[in-house]
Amino acid sequence: MTMAKNLKICLAASAGGHLTQLLKLAQSWVGYEAVFVTTGESVAGELAKRGQVYVVGECNRSMPLKTFRVFLRCVKIVLKERPDVILSTGAAAGCMVCFLGKLRGAKVIWMDSITNTEKLSLSGRMVRHIADLFLVQWPRLAVKYKNVEYVGSVV
Amino acid sequence: MIFLTVGTQFPFDRLLQAVDEAFDRGMVQEEVYAQIGESQYKPRNFKGVMSLDKTEFDAYFTSASSVIGHAGMGTITMALKHRKPLLVMPRLKKYREVVNDHQVGIARKFEEFGHILVAYGAAELPEKIDRLKNFIPTPREDKAQAVVNRIRCFLHSLDCSGKSV
Repeated sequence: MTMAKNLKICLAASAGGHLTQLLKLAQSWVGYEAVFVTTGESVAGELAKRGQVYVVGECNRSMPLKTFRVFLRCVKIVLKERPDVILSTGAAAGCMVCFLGKLRGAKVIWMDSITNTEKLSLSGRMVRHIADLFLVQWPRLAVKYKNVEYVGSVV
Repeated sequence: MIFLTVGTQFPFDRLLQAVDEAFDRGMVQEEVYAQIGESQYKPRNFKGVMSLDKTEFDAYFTSASSVIGHAGMGTITMALKHRKPLLVMPRLKKYREVVNDHQVGIARKFEEFGHILVAYGAAELPEKIDRLKNFIPTPREDKAQAVVNRIRCFLHSLDCSGKSV
């Protein structure tokens, strides 16, 4: 049987460490159509070689207006691209894309950042409830939380 | 040469000052070259620049006998990749060096596995610099492939279930 490979995967990660960790997983989506959502222009050029790139801007809990704008951009992207799968390593923007994708019926894969050693990230704690595959990078976290898997780390 | 890097985003005066004071106490035998970012502290015992472009940064990093830095994943990952002895001092929230104390957790984990040396405060730094010259980091086994395989397997199961349109 030949593999269909017709899934569209939306890869969402904030610029910096989150994106570095996501790109360590690049082999996992080879052969599928990839669309990227990230937060900073500076990394867009590098990503463009790998697929369509959307830059939604930086946001966090202390910037409600910016966060809302980022959210609207994420809504547009998810409605336009209609991904079958969301794969994210965080942070806030990735979390939004996961929830929006899930509403449209996409499967959600989350890998929590290696920097969370004792406790899941805030985004991770939210996404855990809707994720179809939730990966952590420290064995201890897989013991602490339900429906969380540890198979290895990307660093 | 010891390469001292604090990243380009946020200042880290506490680390620069601690290294400077270790010099004063005669605890640093090697020359230090620093990339100090937005830090305000002006070191007396070593030279530094605000920022280095990637090529320069890589050159200093790879030619250094060892590296001192903050406990950022970028610095730790690079040191592991090049098998460089690395001493980190975690940035702390209480000094407004970072938004939360995740660097402490990261430093502790990687220290536990023998990958890096850690000074949890300025007071510990001189002794740790002294240990750095004979420190051989434990190489970290790359387990990224296992994660890749798990995700591929998950995607494959979706693909074959005909879930997608």
